Amino acid sequence: MIIVDDVHKRYQTSHGPGKWILRGVDFVIPPKVSVGLVGRNGAGKSTLLRLIGGTDQPTKGTVKRLCRVSWPMGFGGGLQGSMTGRQNAKFVCRIHGHEYDIEERIAFIEDYAEIGYAFDEPVKTYSSGMKSRLQFGMSLAFDFDVYISDEATASGDAAFKNKAAKAFKDLMDRSSLIMVSHGESTLKQFCSAGIFLDNGKAHWFDNIDDALKAYKDSRNP
Amino acid sequence: MTHYDYFHPRSALSITLSVWNALFLREAVARLSAGRIAWLWLLLDPIIQIGLMIVMFTVIRMRSVDGMSIEAWLIIGMLAFLFFKRTSGQVQNAVGANRALFAYRQVMPIDALLVRAYLEGFITTLITIVLGVGGSFFGTSLLPSDPLTTVVVLFGLWLLGLGYGLVTSVASELIPKVSVVLGIVSTFLMLSSGVMLPVNNIPDPYRGWLLINPLLHGTEAVRHSISPYYHALSGVDVSYIYRCAIVAVFFGLALHRHYQAKLTSL
Repeated sequence: MIIVDDVHKRYQTSHGPGKWILRGVDFVIPPKVSVGLVGRNGAGKSTLLRLIGGTDQPTKGTVKRLCRVSWPMGFGGGLQGSMTGRQNAKFVCRIHGHEYDIEERIAFIEDYAEIGYAFDEPVKTYSSGMKSRLQFGMSLAFDFDVYISDEATASGDAAFKNKAAKAFKDLMDRSSLIMVSHGESTLKQFCSAGIFLDNGKAHWFDNIDDALKAYKDSRNP
Repeated sequence: MTHYDYFHPRSALSITLSVWNALFLREAVARLSAGRIAWLWLLLDPIIQIGLMIVMFTVIRMRSVDGMSIEAWLIIGMLAFLFFKRTSGQVQNAVGANRALFAYRQVMPIDALLVRAYLEGFITTLITIVLGVGGSFFGTSLLPSDPLTTVVVLFGLWLLGLGYGLVTSVASELIPKVSVVLGIVSTFLMLSSGVMLPVNNIPDPYRGWLLINPLLHGTEAVRHSISPYYHALSGVDVSYIYRCAIVAVFFGLALHRHYQAKLTSL
């Protein structure tokens, strides 16, 4: 269960505090419910995912995570460019307290990412698709209750997308997802509930179809 | 039984310890594998600096400073200064160098800084031992006559480097272009620290001003702890180094506590 309570967020800009991106966001994600986030560009979807994942702190309000939540996957976040893929993977195993079975997990990540010799090259030499593969493999190596995906598969090729879709499906019986995606079919495939972000507020829908409909209506009034 | 009944979060301490372990190994590998002979450069860098200064002083025919040979005077002063310089430099840049890793909520900027300070203290200690023992082979006595004081002072200088780095790391991330000012401050600290310019002959009102710099207390106290025949500057006080260091460390920690969210979200 994840409880988001009256979350406000704005960023510091070079000329003082910026405008409010989130203004009083409230919702509770029950256990095992997968949620899709929809809204126009700049509505605050990625910001909200970062707050849920704990990468960033709300300006006001609280986020409570009563389960194991992954870091936000997508856009190469959480990969240090000067370290190799293997070093990044080891780092993540260690901070998650898996020093004792690190070899099995590294083997899993290397096998899953399928990036060959590049696993031992610095991440800054990777293409965005290779970064996605590595990140995806890294997060699957741990048993999270909730996986956060910010277009995690968007830059992958078809083979990787299929593999990721299969992984998500296999996860469904023990975990759930919070995802941002501009692919309507992806959202419908994996999410049961939906959140429509508009004007700094979040609107919760028990059915993802209703969230997508609200989003569409807001674009063509 | 619901799905989440088995959720037992790790304790804050155990998370912090595993983060420190991960960061330490990541930083150590980065320091030792940056290039083919990175470990050799760690040694060569101070040797070249000290060597150049020894040549310089030999050219102006300076043989000794206050009862200590010029070689010993330079080597000891420089090694003591490095405990401050290397630590503060590494700590100051730790936030930028680990930026991507703050995506994991377990990792805080302060973790990266503390781990870097620890690693740098370790490396500098090794360099000091190697150069200290090595220098002794060449006839310059560098083995301390009062080892306990040597250790206490060097630890104080390391702590001072940590405190200074904690403060400047926040400043250099949050204030644009402040690195220019920090560069000037660091040059001034070095020149007035008695590392390469003897300060004993400076007359009184100015000498008192120089004693505001805790690094001067460090370099002079270490030289005296190595050789009891060295005439250290009067007014040198080891506890002053610690008082400055503790103020700097606590001020730095407070800054990090206050600006933590800003540092991770930049």
